[in-house]
This record gives sequence, structure tokens and C-alpha cells, in this order.
Amino acid sequence: MRILLALAALRSHRVRTALAVLGVAVAAAMLLCMVMLSAGLRESFRELLLARGFQLRLSPRGTLPFDTEATISDASTIVQTLAAQPDVVTVSAVLGAQLHVEQGGEGVTTFALGVNPAAQGDYELLEGRDAKAPDALVANDAFLAAAGARVGDTLTFAAGYDPQLRSFSGERTMVVSGRARFLYLASGQSAVALELRVLQDMTGRAGSDEVSLFMVRLRDGADVEAVRAWIQEHVPRVDAISTAEAMQRVDERLSYFRQLGFILGAVSLIVGFLLVTTLMTVSVNERLGEIAVMRAMGVSRLHVIHQILLEGLAMSLAGGIAGLGLGLVTARYLNSILSAFPGLPEAIDFFLFQPRSAWTALGLLVLVGVAAGIYPSWRAATLPIAGALHEEAVA
Amino acid sequence: MLLAALPLFFALQAQLRTVAVGADLAADAGIAVGDTVVISARPPAGVGEEGVPGGRADWPVDSVVVSAIVERRADPSEIARNDYRVRLHLDQLERLVGYGNRVDRFAVGTFDSAATEQALRSIEDAAFGFQAHRSRDIAAETSTTFAVVSRFHRAIGVITIVASAVFLLCILLLKVEERRRGMGALRLIGLSRRTVFSTVVIEAAFVSVLGSALGVLVGWAASAAVNAYYQSFYRTPLRFSIVTADIVLFAVLLSLVLGVVAGAVAALRLVRAPPLELIGR
Repeated sequence: MRILLALAALRSHRVRTALAVLGVAVAAAMLLCMVMLSAGLRESFRELLLARGFQLRLSPRGTLPFDTEATISDASTIVQTLAAQPDVVTVSAVLGAQLHVEQGGEGVTTFALGVNPAAQGDYELLEGRDAKAPDALVANDAFLAAAGARVGDTLTFAAGYDPQLRSFSGERTMVVSGRARFLYLASGQSAVALELRVLQDMTGRAGSDEVSLFMVRLRDGADVEAVRAWIQEHVPRVDAISTAEAMQRVDERLSYFRQLGFILGAVSLIVGFLLVTTLMTVSVNERLGEIAVMRAMGVSRLHVIHQILLEGLAMSLAGGIAGLGLGLVTARYLNSILSAFPGLPEAIDFFLFQPRSAWTALGLLVLVGVAAGIYPSWRAATLPIAGALHEEAVA
Repeated sequence: MLLAALPLFFALQAQLRTVAVGADLAADAGIAVGDTVVISARPPAGVGEEGVPGGRADWPVDSVVVSAIVERRADPSEIARNDYRVRLHLDQLERLVGYGNRVDRFAVGTFDSAATEQALRSIEDAAFGFQAHRSRDIAAETSTTFAVVSRFHRAIGVITIVASAVFLLCILLLKVEERRRGMGALRLIGLSRRTVFSTVVIEAAFVSVLGSALGVLVGWAASAAVNAYYQSFYRTPLRFSIVTADIVLFAVLLSLVLGVVAGAVAALRLVRAPPLELIGR
């Protein structure tokens, strides 16, 4: 009965109600976007880091993986040290470098990863064979397009050029054995992967056995923090970064978006609250006579409060549900804008939809709807019946 | 005795090379101009000691004099990098880090744009493995991040404008409907529909301009707060938010247009209804 009365009151001012619902829908869309933004980037990054099951990354002390050109020497010794840790299952040593290939009279520069193909966690093979031979490498679509090459082609790569001697250094002829998708590289970034030892030879880093990064996979159920502390103690010249810590560092760098999400989400809630409160207050003011008659007939204060609160709630819910759809479309559009960030891995989404985001947005809107109805319902419930009836009769 | 030691002190000082230290590092480490500090590429916490896998016992260590403290540039590309900066002589850095005679990049000065084009071609033809870039291309590349953020802000701005328009329309509609009886009475005593319509529209325009003036003040304060917070957070002189005359004019005009349209829609509903219906009869 109360629900029907509340809906009837809303229907009696269709245009006004439609506008209010539209206003709440826009606020809800913005709110959902901001909830998705604040949680999405973090979750998306976590999923990316754990995509291949490596829980720890070891980078040169004081740096983030591939943040600088710093390297870690004596990689094999460190791999042996790490292998002694009972919770460590796989260690993947990775070296990053630039390689150049001359094709059609033009030089193409590409990012190269030296890995152990059997233990690597940087790419997934899409076509052909893995780079398991010293003269083989896998390449991504961006490189194949830039070099005009296909799987099976033979190319000559060089690690550098000595302008004084006018000669290539670290030159090697290699076969593109496969096509791969690199998980952590920016979309459109040209990349190849080859055996670690081969890249070390080409770049002159074989003697010192240098790598840029280690990725460490632990056994299921292992205490990541305990292993991290163990590594930090036994290999002090590296920074052992767990997934949680990496996420925290990304949070620090991209805290702007989280803060923006919080501020705009709060503004959306305030706008929705003001809109519903104003509408409900005006609606109650218009119906003072009607409410006074109801009260005179014996309708309880609680009934009046419930009815007004239900009106606010109905508007918030209708706007909220419409806003969720609008929010998903808006989030997709905003995500397409932010995906153009330079250097951002293709798999990262700023706006990630999770059912929890939708429930959070809807829950907050319900709270706002209820809160928005408190003042008008209190005003309606404390109305002096005789005075209101007298004013209504005079009017 | 002190006087006797002075020449030795100055001689030692004269041999020391100079470095410029970033203001962040100087503030955090309590370094001042004229201080002598020890620098090394050696990682901290005993790394490099014998017995540590891959450790080097022969990391070069230099004493240097801090000759300048430099403020961070207002460079958008460095916004999220909170690492400390020290500037030292090239040969000294090469020796400290053990890179040999190696550099990351060269900066080449040219006379004019034609000379720049010629230099680009010559360098790329002469040295395979080198890539020459125009300064403006690098500037465009490094500002891509902020171009993306700017596009994102514009999109958020459009959503905000839509939300504001709906809000304004709703409020003005309510405001007009609240005065149905008054307007009905005015119509009954002979005021024309046109007079009522223009009264409502002018009132809406006043409310919009007044609201937007208040909004400009709030926006200016919010902009100052945003700048103060993020400049302190990222330790940069970069301005994150600016309120210009163009922005103020755009906001006021947009608000006025929205207000007039919303007022006109609400007034139309009012003047179309018979006066007796407006006063509830």
C-alpha cells in the first residue's frame, strides 16, 4: 500500500520525476565509473602480474623492473642461490636490450628480451616454434610489421654500431621461429625474444653474466613475504618485489586517478543527494494539505515517513539502475581514452567491471536515497495538523 | 696552527669536483651548498662486499663539493618519478658507474630548421643504430601522457556538463512550479502570457549568472587547493589546474544558456496552463 502511494505520488508529476531520475542516472553513471576506476586499475594490474604465476620480481637495487638500464651481474650464481630456497619452483632470468635489424635499406630498432624459453613468463606463443635454438627468436606483430618479416624469415640482427670503426657489433643471423604476444609491453611496441645466453653474447654481457630482472615462481601455499625476506637477506643487491608491493608502487605512481575517482564519486553522490532532497522537499511542501488530511484521518506519523522515504528510494533506485547501464558505456569510452597512455601494457584496464563495483554503486545510491528523504519526511511527520488544514482551506 | 692548515684545506677543496644536487635530495638529506659529500654507484646496505654473489669490492668512490641546489623542472614527463637527482661531470659519472666512454644521448645545436633537417639526415645516414629526433618531436612524445590525461578531463567535463544541465533544468522546473499559484493570480489580474514567460526566463538567467559567479569562486578555490596539494604531493612546481578568463567566460556563458533554456522550458509549461488550473481551481 505504501509503495503504491509512493509510486502514485511520483507519477502525478511525471516530467519532474523523469528529470530527477535522469539526474540520478547521470550521477550513478559517474559514481559507477569512479568505483570502477578506483578498483579496476589495481585489480587489472594484479591479474597481469600473476598471469604467469610469478609472485616475485627481483630488480637491481633501488630500481623497478626495466625502469633503468641497470643490470644484475653473476646471474647464474643468483639463480643457484635462489634454487636453494625450498619454496622457489622456477626462476626466470631476463635481460632487456635494444637490437637493430637492417631491412630494405632501413634500420629497425626493437626491444629484445633474453630469456630461458623453458621458464619464461614474458610472452605467450601464438604461432610457430619457441626460440629454443641459438639462432631462433620469436617476434611480436609490431616487429614483424616494422621489419616486413614473417615467421620463417632469416634476418641479421646487431646489438650496436661502432661509428668510429663503422662496423656492427654483436651481429648475428637469426630465424624468426614464432610469433608471440608480449604480456608486459606497451601495445604497438616492437619486441623479440631469444635465448638469454645469445643476447648476452650479442650485447657483450656474457662475461659478467648480466640480466635485468629475475622472475620467481613459488610453490602453492608458500609465504611470499617470508621468501621475499629470505631473498633480500641472501641476495642483498637486488630489490625483491612482491605482487602486493608492485601494486603499492603502481598505486603511488597512479594515485592521481584513485584520488580523482574518490573526489568525483563523492561529488556524484552529493549531486544525487541534493537533487532527490530538493525534489522531495518541494513535493512535500506542495502536499502539505494532503498530508494534513491523511494525518487528521488517523494515518500514523510512521506511515507518512515511510511513504516519503519510499518515494526518495524509488527515485534513487530507478536512476541507479538506469545509471548502471549508462555507467558501463561511459566507462568503456573513458577506458579507451586512458588506454592510449604511452608505455601501458595492452592488458591493463583503468576501468574494470566487477559485480562488486555495481553493488557498491547501487548500495551507495540506496543510502543516498534514504538519506535524501530524511529531512522531507521529518517535515511531513512533524506537520501541525490543524494549522496546515486551516492554511489549505484559506488557500 | 689553524692558519697553517688553511692552505691545505683550500688545496683539497680545489681538487674536489663539483656536483649539483636536486632540491628534494638536499631537503631530505640536509645538504647545503658548499658541503662535501661522498658519492658512489655502489648500491647501499653492504652490497658489493666480498662473499656476496656478484659483489664488487672495487666500486669507485668520490668526494665532491655541492656547488648548486637545483629545483625540479616543471616537466610533465617527470611527474610520477620521485627519484632523487644529482648532476655531475660526464667523465666522472662514466668512471663511477663503469660504463666506459658511453652516453645515453647527444644534444646537437643547429642554426635553423634547414640545418636541423640536414643534421637529422646526416646522422641517420652515417650511424646505423643511432636515431636522431627533433626536440619538438621529443617534446610531443613526452607530453603524450598529459595529452591523454587532458582528453580524459575533457570527457569528464562533458559528463559534468550533462549532469549540471539536468540538475539545473530540474531545479528551475521545481522553482517555477512552486510559484504556480502566484503566476496564476498574476495571469488572472491581466498579465499577458508573454510577460509571465519573460519574467520566468529573466529570473532563470539571474539565478544562473549568480550561481555561476559563486561557482567561479568555488572553482578558483578548488583550483588553488588542487595545485597546493599536488605540487606538494609530487614535489613539482608544475601547475595542475588553471582558471583563465576564457574558462570563466565559457562556464558563465554555458550556465547562462542552460539556465535560459531550462527557464524557457519551465515557463512554457506554466503559460500553457489555464490561470484557474494554476491556482488549483
